[in-house]
Amino acid sequence: MATDRKNRYGEVVTTICNSHCGGSCPLKVHVHGGIITRIETDDGEEPQYRACARGRAYRHRVYSSDRLTSPLKRIGERGKGEYKKISWDEALDIVISELKRVKENYGTSAILFLGSLGDVAWLHNAALVEELLIRAGGYSGSWGSASGEGGLFAMMTSYGMPGMGNSREDFLNSRLIILWGWNPAVSCNFGNTRLYLAKAREAGVKIIAVDPRHTDSAAVFAQQWIPIRPGTDTAMLLAMAYVLITKNLHDHTFLNNYTVGFEEFKKYIMGKEDGVPKDPNWAEEITGVPSHTIITLARDFASKKPAALIDGFAVGRTAYGEQFHRAAITLAAMTGNIGIPGGSAPGGCAAMGDMLLPLSLGQFAALRMKGGDNPVDLAAPTRKNAIVASRLGRLGFYMGSSQSRVHRTHIADAILKGRRGGYPADYKLLYLVNINYVNQMSNTNKIVQALKKLEFIVVQEQFMTPTAKFADVVLPTNTFMERNDVTTGGIGPFYGYMNRAINSLGESKSHLEIVTELASRLGIPDFSNKTEEEWLREIVRDCKDLPEYDTFKNEGIHKVTLTKPFVCFEAQINDLVNHPFPTPSGKIEIHSHEIADLNNPKIPPIPKYIETWENCNDPLSKKYPLQLITTHAKRRAHSQFENIPLLREIDTQAILINAADAQLRGIYSGDTVRVFNERGEMVITAKATERIMPGVVDIPQGAWYSPDVDALDQGGCANVLTKDETSPAGAFCFNTTLVQVEKV
Amino acid sequence: MFQYNLGTGRESLEIIIVAMQLGFYFDQTRCVGCYTCVVACKDWHDIAAGPVSWRWISAIEKGTYPNPFVAYLSLSCLHCEQPNCIPVCPVNAIFKRKQDGIVIVDREACLGNSKCAMLCKDACPYSAPQFGEESGAKMQKCHFCLDRLAEGKKPICVESCPMRALDSGPINDLIARYGDTMETEGFIYSSDVKPIIIFKPKRG
Repeated sequence: MATDRKNRYGEVVTTICNSHCGGSCPLKVHVHGGIITRIETDDGEEPQYRACARGRAYRHRVYSSDRLTSPLKRIGERGKGEYKKISWDEALDIVISELKRVKENYGTSAILFLGSLGDVAWLHNAALVEELLIRAGGYSGSWGSASGEGGLFAMMTSYGMPGMGNSREDFLNSRLIILWGWNPAVSCNFGNTRLYLAKAREAGVKIIAVDPRHTDSAAVFAQQWIPIRPGTDTAMLLAMAYVLITKNLHDHTFLNNYTVGFEEFKKYIMGKEDGVPKDPNWAEEITGVPSHTIITLARDFASKKPAALIDGFAVGRTAYGEQFHRAAITLAAMTGNIGIPGGSAPGGCAAMGDMLLPLSLGQFAALRMKGGDNPVDLAAPTRKNAIVASRLGRLGFYMGSSQSRVHRTHIADAILKGRRGGYPADYKLLYLVNINYVNQMSNTNKIVQALKKLEFIVVQEQFMTPTAKFADVVLPTNTFMERNDVTTGGIGPFYGYMNRAINSLGESKSHLEIVTELASRLGIPDFSNKTEEEWLREIVRDCKDLPEYDTFKNEGIHKVTLTKPFVCFEAQINDLVNHPFPTPSGKIEIHSHEIADLNNPKIPPIPKYIETWENCNDPLSKKYPLQLITTHAKRRAHSQFENIPLLREIDTQAILINAADAQLRGIYSGDTVRVFNERGEMVITAKATERIMPGVVDIPQGAWYSPDVDALDQGGCANVLTKDETSPAGAFCFNTTLVQVEKV
Repeated sequence: MFQYNLGTGRESLEIIIVAMQLGFYFDQTRCVGCYTCVVACKDWHDIAAGPVSWRWISAIEKGTYPNPFVAYLSLSCLHCEQPNCIPVCPVNAIFKRKQDGIVIVDREACLGNSKCAMLCKDACPYSAPQFGEESGAKMQKCHFCLDRLAEGKKPICVESCPMRALDSGPINDLIARYGDTMETEGFIYSSDVKPIIIFKPKRG
């Protein structure tokens, strides 16, 4: 790194880390002579939002020796990573001519776009390319939020809108907090989440972690750890409901005033629907959690009011994950813990409500570029179970309201089979922005096969990721350190002006620069008729919470003072007449007619436990006896930062295996093991530990797929093992996977 | 190499009386082992990825399923009251500043790992003095962020901690605020060197 240590004091530029780790934290970047020399974080007035190790290592990411600094053209086989440098002119000309060729030969539906949240900011993000493709005639999109589709379905059907959690300082108002499959010690989940959990524990709040893994959150915040088999969480929640009903501990007033459908749910719980009472003994068999533990937790949840049940997205990333979030919402309603201080509205582990939505979605510059509706979306009928999408207007397209969109989990299958396989299009060209698709979607080996079939792939990236290695043309993008942008820090709440710290490295360009040049070559010169600064001025002007542009830019971090904690759905609970839930009934729907109308027994109108595939009762478990979960790693944000040595050294990519399971296989910590099932295999370091349930193994997701000549992954990419199957209502199923582990 | 104001203290190596002693506080009940302190330190002091780290974290795991116990411990040089590293140095390159008790290495004087058996590293019960792997590498370790100290700022590790598990300052002030617990899970107080750190311990 070319930093002159004698002169490391230069100007200090304020920006916001923009890495999709779950937080958005202020960085104060020291710049001398056009070079970043070091990084501080928020040291201003409290509440300070302090960046984590990932943000602190960002200088090393910017100057990483493997940063892509010029456009590349593939010269070797797809996936091998053999490229030659080409000029921007040549690169853009190739992209344009391929877009035109594919459109002419096959129609716009053959153009497939996949983007993700690599840049969580309002101007420079993947949506710019989507808008451009609309103006160019349309594209085939996908649907499905990998993190939260199960939670989103539960919120939209139960509340009629996205909304979950209270602002984090409200943890201090709780008497009981249940961290259900949630590990904010690593995944952060906005601002000072973990700090307030620690403060709550210190203030005497009882905190319990329900999780197959003894996470760092369980270790630091919780007084009790309840291990549970992956995929069975709903059964435990139902048994807790059974305890509340039979002991008459549920909040009749809340249920009467604010919910519909409790009676149907009660019939199911008591076994009047299927002859099976969902009692704690029933749940013990399924979950592995002793019935007395379930009874105690249920009684605690009813008696220690207010109580916050935080339902982690991770649990929703299983088969029937939407049932878990629906059941959590029902439990919180049964105890009257929604819409009150110290309580929490389940639906996922973020904190957001109506006050936050306009902050994050409505401000996107891409939505101001008036690409209009995507012709490919409009041409196809509405997808039948698109309850989530139908409530989100134009954004619904991104959520999959049109049948032209294939769920992300099935994209590889759709590429391979096309219309003959019942998919809406025959994809020929793939445009990837900010997405490590090979690595981060299920069944990596199938994705690899699919990508080899396409006629053309273009990737916008900062690094030669496992996905970029499949591109025919790679367009190098800059990092947020090299451009101006605006973002929000979530329900901190604060806004951030992301000041450019340095010039773009090499020939890398911003997303806006790339789409502007593509638009001009496509003959759409008015596509982005504003400069970066003009777009940002317009966004800031339209955001009522923000001061005047130059003041905000200088300020960098604009903290919004809350006079009291934000409580999700407080307005609805205080005054339902004037603030009904936007559901058909105006109330929280424990029973949903909209779901009933789908007439799909695997998407029941009340939350139910449905046994998943690839669980410990599956005959396949004889061959592959271990349940795999794929969690977040402290050294990465999903697959970002995996190539940064300063972060790699803080944690080893390893499979966590219970010490007893390890012993059975003659495995010791540090051994190299082979992990495999019928979809793929890898070699990885083993860590034998008492901190995971027997029968369960954990491979943190995001490590980069690195196959050897026999397609044996050496990088520890969890998705070589996961199944490309979705839950019936769209939840991703990364955590529903059986594997075997053996010593190499 | 950035030249810090090394201060005074060299003249009295045997009995060091400091006017004021700076030290650390670590709240072990709060640490989530996120390594932000370590990464912030390496970034601030321009230390590349590799074995050298002025601050380090240990994970202590005990107990058996389903009752494991986990504690993290974040440590650096502890600027001891009686540092063993000082008397063993053959060239008196290590000294303790009279004005604040910070233990400093004069890297220009240090002989480096090819001419010295790294006696300071062996003498320290906490292995705080560090040498890179390359031949001739000189000793380096935490110097309490002297550059930040000069600006009235706390060390970068303290200001980075998302959990506010670290603090620093005159040790008497820290004791008045946090108590005088000198041991914690994974850390044994060495009466030989008398490390300057107090803890809020986590007990299994």
